[in-house]
Amino acid sequence: TVSSRGDAMRGLAVFISDIRNCKSKEAESKRINKELANIRSKFKGDKTLDGYSKKKYVCKLLFIFLLGHDIDFGHMEAVNLLSSNKYTEKQIGYLFISVLVSSNSDLMKLIIQNIKNDISSPKPVHVNLALHCIANIGSVEMSEAFGQEVPKLLVSAHASASVKQSAALCLLRLIRTLPEAMTYAEWASRVIHLLNDQHMWLTAATSLIHTLSQLSPGDYKGCVSLAVSRLSRIVTSTYTDLQDYTYYFVPAPWLSVKLLRLLQCYPVPEEPAVRGRLVECLETILNKCQEPPKSKKVQHSNSKNAVLFEAINLIIHIDSEPNLLVRACNQLGQFLQHRETNLRYLALESMCLLAGSEFSADAVKKHRETVINALKTERDVSVRQRAVDLLYAMCDKTNSEEIVAEMLAYLKKADYAIREEMVLKVAILSEKYASDYTWYVDTILKLIRVAGDYVSEEVWHRVIQIVINRDDAQGYAAKTVFENLQAPACHENMVKVGGYILGEFGNLIAGDERSSPLVQFNLLHSKFHLCTPSTRALLLSTYIKFINLFPEIKPTIQNVLQNNNQLRNADVELQQRALEYSQLSSITSQDVLATVLEEMPPFPERESSILAKLKKKKPASVQVSLRIFGVKIVILSTNDNVTSSFFSTVNNSNIEAGMVQLYLAYIQCCFLPIIIELLSKDLDNKNNIFAHCFLVFMFKNSGVLFENALIQVGVKCEFKEQYGRVGLFFGNKTGNQLQNFAAAVSLGPEHQGKINVATQKEPPSQIDGGAQVQHFINLECISMFSGSPNLQLRYQHSSAPQQVTLKLPVIINKFMEGVDMNSGDFFSRWKQLGQPTQETQKIFQARHPIDTEAARTKLTGFGMCALTNVDPNPENLVGSGIIKTKTSQIGCLLRLEPNKQAKMYRLTVRSSVGEAAALICSMLEEHF
Amino acid sequence: MIKAILVFNNHGKPRLLRFYQHYSEEKQQQIIRETFHLVSRRDDNVCSFLEGGTLIGGSDYKLIYRHYATLYFVFCVDSSESELGILDLIQVFVETLDRCFENVCELDLIFHVDKVQYILSEIVMGGMVLETNMNDICSRFLEQDKLEKSEVKLFAPAKAAAALKNIDLPSLPKDLKLPDLPKLPSFR
Repeated sequence: TVSSRGDAMRGLAVFISDIRNCKSKEAESKRINKELANIRSKFKGDKTLDGYSKKKYVCKLLFIFLLGHDIDFGHMEAVNLLSSNKYTEKQIGYLFISVLVSSNSDLMKLIIQNIKNDISSPKPVHVNLALHCIANIGSVEMSEAFGQEVPKLLVSAHASASVKQSAALCLLRLIRTLPEAMTYAEWASRVIHLLNDQHMWLTAATSLIHTLSQLSPGDYKGCVSLAVSRLSRIVTSTYTDLQDYTYYFVPAPWLSVKLLRLLQCYPVPEEPAVRGRLVECLETILNKCQEPPKSKKVQHSNSKNAVLFEAINLIIHIDSEPNLLVRACNQLGQFLQHRETNLRYLALESMCLLAGSEFSADAVKKHRETVINALKTERDVSVRQRAVDLLYAMCDKTNSEEIVAEMLAYLKKADYAIREEMVLKVAILSEKYASDYTWYVDTILKLIRVAGDYVSEEVWHRVIQIVINRDDAQGYAAKTVFENLQAPACHENMVKVGGYILGEFGNLIAGDERSSPLVQFNLLHSKFHLCTPSTRALLLSTYIKFINLFPEIKPTIQNVLQNNNQLRNADVELQQRALEYSQLSSITSQDVLATVLEEMPPFPERESSILAKLKKKKPASVQVSLRIFGVKIVILSTNDNVTSSFFSTVNNSNIEAGMVQLYLAYIQCCFLPIIIELLSKDLDNKNNIFAHCFLVFMFKNSGVLFENALIQVGVKCEFKEQYGRVGLFFGNKTGNQLQNFAAAVSLGPEHQGKINVATQKEPPSQIDGGAQVQHFINLECISMFSGSPNLQLRYQHSSAPQQVTLKLPVIINKFMEGVDMNSGDFFSRWKQLGQPTQETQKIFQARHPIDTEAARTKLTGFGMCALTNVDPNPENLVGSGIIKTKTSQIGCLLRLEPNKQAKMYRLTVRSSVGEAAALICSMLEEHF
Repeated sequence: MIKAILVFNNHGKPRLLRFYQHYSEEKQQQIIRETFHLVSRRDDNVCSFLEGGTLIGGSDYKLIYRHYATLYFVFCVDSSESELGILDLIQVFVETLDRCFENVCELDLIFHVDKVQYILSEIVMGGMVLETNMNDICSRFLEQDKLEKSEVKLFAPAKAAAALKNIDLPSLPKDLKLPDLPKLPSFR
C-alpha cells in the first residue's frame, strides 16, 4: 500500500487548518466568507486561471459546502474542468457536479455534452468518470440522453471489464428513473448471459437483472436457471475459483445475496432439475450455519449470516418446502438468544415472515416465551419493536390472552414512538381472537387507561360498534366502564366511551343503587368541565338519552342543559345541542322522546377500520404478502400506486374490484408478477377472482391457469379453424401422492350443442409427489358461443377431498382467423354490413395510454388481422377476421378510433351475425 | 438502494456526504442533524439498524451505521438491501480507507475530501454496490493517484510538495484505529 498523504494542495490545506483553528462559529463564518469572496474574485478576474488553480478553488468550495454553507457560484468553472484533458481536473469537475449541481440546472445541456465526449473516449478512466456522473445525477434528462448509449457499452466486445461494471449500474439507475422507456426486451438474453461471465461485474449485473426482472418478468425469465447454477457454484463448491471475492472466508457474500434476491422475483422454478438444485443450495446454506466458524472476526459471521438471512427470505418466498421452513425457523430460534444484538433483531424480523406461512407458523409459536422475554429485557427499542411485530404475527386463538396481556404490560413503558402502533395491534388482536366479549371490553378499557393518548378515534369507535352489536357484552360493558370512570383521573377517551355506552346501556346497571341514574349522571358530569368541546358535545347527547332512560332525573339534567355555561357557550356546536336538547325534553311527549332516542341499531358488519389504519402506517413497498378472507396474495411491485390503490379497494371489502385493478395493471405493462394462491373454502369467492385473472388468456394460449399450495395447472392450447386442442399439465407441488384425481370438462346449458368435447384418454387417477402429468382435450366449435366451458378438478390430499372449478381458456375468439385485405375490399365489405342489427358501437374511456402499436399487438393477439394502410387516419386501427365454426363462418370487421385529447375510444364492430359483433365489442372494450 | 451515505464525528460535524437522490443544501444539513441526533444517543452495543428519520425515506428506510472511535459511518438504505451486507460494506469502505491512507484517521477525511469521495465512488455508484473486492478498489485508486502525481509534477511542482509539513496540528489526535471492530461485551 502507498500513502496518499503529502501531496495536497497547499492553499487548500492552509485554509482547512485556518477553519479548524477558529475559536467561534462567527470566526469560522468570517473566514469562510473571506475565502468565498477571494474565490469569487479569482473566478471573475481577467486573468484566465490554469487548471490547477481551478481545481484548488473547486476543492475549497466542496469543503465549504460540507460545512453546511450554500455555494451559489463556481458551477461554470466546474463544468469547464470537464473539458480539461487532464484526468485529475476532469475528476474534480465531475465530483463538484455530482455533489452540488441539481438535475434542473441551466448548465445541464453543457454537462451532457461533456459527458457525451467522455463516454466515447478511448480511455476507460474517462468513460468511467462519465458513467459515474450519469448514475449519480440519474435524472430524466440523463435517461433520455444516454438510454441508448449505455447498454451498448454493457454488451460491447471492446469495453473493459471496469467499464462494463459501471455501465451495468449506470443503466440500472437510468431504468429506475424512466422505467417505461427501457425494458430492453431485445437485449434480454444477452443481459441474462452476463450471469455466465467473469466475476468482476457479477454483483452489478445481478442488480441490473433484478430490476429488469421486476419490470418485465417475462423477458428475463431465463435468468432463473442461470442464477441458480451460479449460486450453486458459489455455495456448494470449495471457493477456489472465487478467491478474489472471498470475504473473511465466505465466498462472494454480496453476489450470493443479490442472486438470492433476484430469485425472489420469480415463482419457484418449475423444472425439477433447477428446483432440486436450488433446494440443495438452500440446504447447504442452512448446513453451513451449523459448522464451526472459520474465524472469530465479526465480519466472518456477518457475511455468512447475510447470506443465510437472504436464503431464509427466499425459503419464505417459495413457501412450499415445509422442511426448509421449519429448519429456517429453528436456525432463527438459535439467533434469538445470540449475544449479538444485530442477529437478534434480524431473527425477530425474519421470523415475523415465517409466522405467516402455514408450514412454519407452529414452529414459530414455540418461541413465544423467548420473544416475550425479549420484549421485557432488550435494551434497544428497535429490537423490542421487532419483538412486538413478531408477537402480533404469531398470535392465535390459543395464545392471544397471554400475548395481549404481555403487550399491554409492555405498553406502559414502551417508547413513545411505537405506542400508537402497539395500541392498534392490541385492539386488533383482542377483537380478532375474542371468544369472550368481556375480555375484549376489559382489554380495550385497559388500553385506554394505560395509553389513552395513543388510542385513536378508530379504536374507541370500534369498541362502541362492537358493544352495540353484541347483546351479551352490553351489560358488562356498562358496568366496567362505570367502574373505570370512578378513577380520580381518567383519560378523556374513557369519558367518551363511558358517555356513549352509559347513554345507550346505563339502564342495564341502574338497578344497583351504587350506580343509580343520578350517580351515573353525577359521575359523568364531574368530568364534563375537564373535557374538550367535542367530548362535551358527546356528553350532552348522553344527557338527553338519560332523560329518556331515566325520567326521574329529568329536572337535574334540564338544569344543566339550560345553564348559561351551555346556552351561551362560545362553541356553537355546544350551544346548539344544549338548546335543542333542552327544547326537545320540555316540549315533546315521552313517546316522541322515546322514538327519537331509540337504542342505536346494530352497525353493519364491516372490516375493522383499525386494520386499515395499521396498514396505512406501514405502506406497501416492494413486496406485499397478505391474506384476506383466506386468500393469499403476493404482490411484487415497483409501482406504489398500483399496490396502494389495490389496498384501498380491498380495505373496502371489495376484493373483486381489487383483483380487477391488479389484473389491469398486469396486462397494462406486466408490472406485477402476481401470484395468487387460494386457500379459501369459499368457492364463489375463488371463482370470481379467477374469472378476472382468466381474462389474460383471451390474448394468449399458454400459461399457469391455477396454482395453490398443492397443485399447479398449466395450460397450452392450439386452435385451427373450428378445431381446438388443449393440453393441461397438472403438477403436484407436495411430497405426497394426490389421489382420486379427476379432471373433467363440463358444459353448461349455454354451451350444450355448441361445443363438442372429446378426451383421448382419461387423466391418471393419481399424481405422485413432485410429478407432473399431462392431459389432452380436443374440441370442436359447432356454433357461436359466449363465455367458456368449465374444468372440474377433484383430488384427495392426505385424505382430504379437494375440489376446484376453473375456466378453460376456450373462448370464441380462439376460433377466429385474421383476414388480410386492402382498403377497397375492407370498405366495400364494411358498407355491405350496414344494417343496424349488424353493428355494435361503444364509446369508452381509455384504460391504458393511447398507443396505436400496443393496440395493434393486442388486436393480433385477439385473433384479428390488424390492417395497415386501410384507414385514411393512421391513428385509427382496423381489423378483420372470420370466426370458423362447424356450421357457419362469421365475418367480423372492426374499427377503433382514439380521441387523444379526451382519452376516449370509439369501437365499432360489424359482423354478418349481430350477436357476434356485440360479443366481440363487449370482450374488447375493457382492454384498450 | 442506498439513498445516502453520511460520515460525521462525535460532535455531529460532517466529514463526508453523499446523496444518491437530490436534496437541497438546506435539507441535506437537516438530514445530517437529524441522523446525528438519532444515532449519537444510542449505546455502542445496541443494534446497528434503526428505522429511518422523518426527512429521508420513511417507513421503508433504515439507517445502518457503525461507530469507529470518533466517527460515525451511516448508510441510509431501503428494504431492498441486506442489513448485514451493508454493515460489511461499511467495513470494506473503512478498511479500504485504512489501506489507502495507512492508518486512516479523521484528519485524512478532512484534508482529502476529494480522495475519500473517489474511493467511495469505486465502492458505491448511483446508490448501488459497485465493487466489494478491496484489492481491486485499492488498485484503481492507486492508479488514479499515480495519474494525479504525474500531472501535478508537470504543472505545480513547487506548490504541492510538503504542503502539510509547515502546518501546526499537534493537538489533533490520530484517532481512527482500524481495522478491528470494537469488541462487543458479552451478553448478560
